[in-house]
Amino acid sequence: MRASEPEMPRPEGGGDRYLDGLLARVARGDQAAFEAVYDGLAGPVYGLILRVVRDPAQSEEVSQEVLLEIWRTAPRFDPAKGSAATWAMTIAHRRAVDRVRSAAAAAAREQRTAEVPVPHDAVADVVEASLEAERVRRCLDGLTESQRESITLAYYGGFSYRQVGERLGIALSTIKTRIRDGLIRMRDCLGVS
Amino acid sequence: MAPLRSSQHTLTGVYALDALDTDAEVARFERHLARCQGCTGQVRGFRVTATRLGMAVSRPPPPALRAAVMDEVPRTRQLPALDDRPGHRRAAPRPTWLPRLAAAGAAIGLAAAITLGVVLVNTQNQLSQARHQLSVTKTELAAINAVRTASDATLVTKATSIGGTVTVVSSASRDQIVVTTRGLPALRAGKVYQLWLIGSNGNRIRSEGLLVLHNGRTGPVLISGVLSGDIFGVTLEPAGGTVQPTVKPFVAIPA
Repeated sequence: MRASEPEMPRPEGGGDRYLDGLLARVARGDQAAFEAVYDGLAGPVYGLILRVVRDPAQSEEVSQEVLLEIWRTAPRFDPAKGSAATWAMTIAHRRAVDRVRSAAAAAAREQRTAEVPVPHDAVADVVEASLEAERVRRCLDGLTESQRESITLAYYGGFSYRQVGERLGIALSTIKTRIRDGLIRMRDCLGVS
Repeated sequence: MAPLRSSQHTLTGVYALDALDTDAEVARFERHLARCQGCTGQVRGFRVTATRLGMAVSRPPPPALRAAVMDEVPRTRQLPALDDRPGHRRAAPRPTWLPRLAAAGAAIGLAAAITLGVVLVNTQNQLSQARHQLSVTKTELAAINAVRTASDATLVTKATSIGGTVTVVSSASRDQIVVTTRGLPALRAGKVYQLWLIGSNGNRIRSEGLLVLHNGRTGPVLISGVLSGDIFGVTLEPAGGTVQPTVKPFVAIPA
């Protein structure tokens, strides 16, 4: 993948416009198009949810909900507001966060907070050492340690910024700016326009 | 409305990572976002950036997931597009959906509070004003009114087991319902009212979000994608809501 390429990484042979076009067909009830969308997005959706939720069985359940939500709400997808991949991954992340913050998950979560990964590992232990993962990792390396910790705890850990602040012993107002400044640096490093 | 506060500007990153603490915080930031172009652009870029972080941890899903999803697809009704022009309507009205009640739309009236616990809207005038003040989109307001005035609108008001009433206006042709409440008990700290759509066979339960109480009233809340036979219910849940209801609904109404 070249540095100049805009926005989204793509699942094999895909690309933004490709998925956007497929989603327009899904919006008209095209099930074959949805299978192609599944092939492009199921891996990223499942991987992200697994990262946040951590329990494979629950992650599979949430992934199923998200993929069906993509089918169900495809007619509401507006390509003018962003790519299909960003839309889908935004849904996936929200659902994953909903799951870990729900009351039922609270107890289990308390138990696992002790074993939340050192944030840096969040990307490092990815099974598939894809080019994209490499690039993201390089860009994460370019952040200050507290920017990196704040972003990975919030995004991969599913913690609220208040929880991130508590874990890192940093004031809320500082967490806000760390996350924002870190994301600006990540965005520029990844060449997001 | 609220002045632009720098503390809201700096929340763009937190918001884009879904890391705000409460629904109220999200609602407040989204009101700010609606008026802050710079923030909107930044949030958009951050979402793309976050997507890259998500893509980087892609994993092959369990093989069973594909079959599970594809099995559900033919049974899962898609939402109508928001700019639902007549020619694009997906399904014909289902006459057996609910018994018709006369003069449904009128009863709910314009006295209902328009949403998000911020402003009570009592007149058509304020309604249009609210369009600018609140993060309810114009399309959503239009949809709410379209349901209330639909020719096949039906209305059911039911007393709940914990006090107060819940009113559901349904339009089968639009697959939508509008929900308002009156006199629900004030919430204890750490509790929320959560809305649900429950499939006719009980095996499909979908959260439709949380209710915000304002002066003992809520709504109207628009719920889309309602299927034939769905039951609408409300439960009392821990703050933040839950994925599935943890208790029996204190009110249930055929949607």
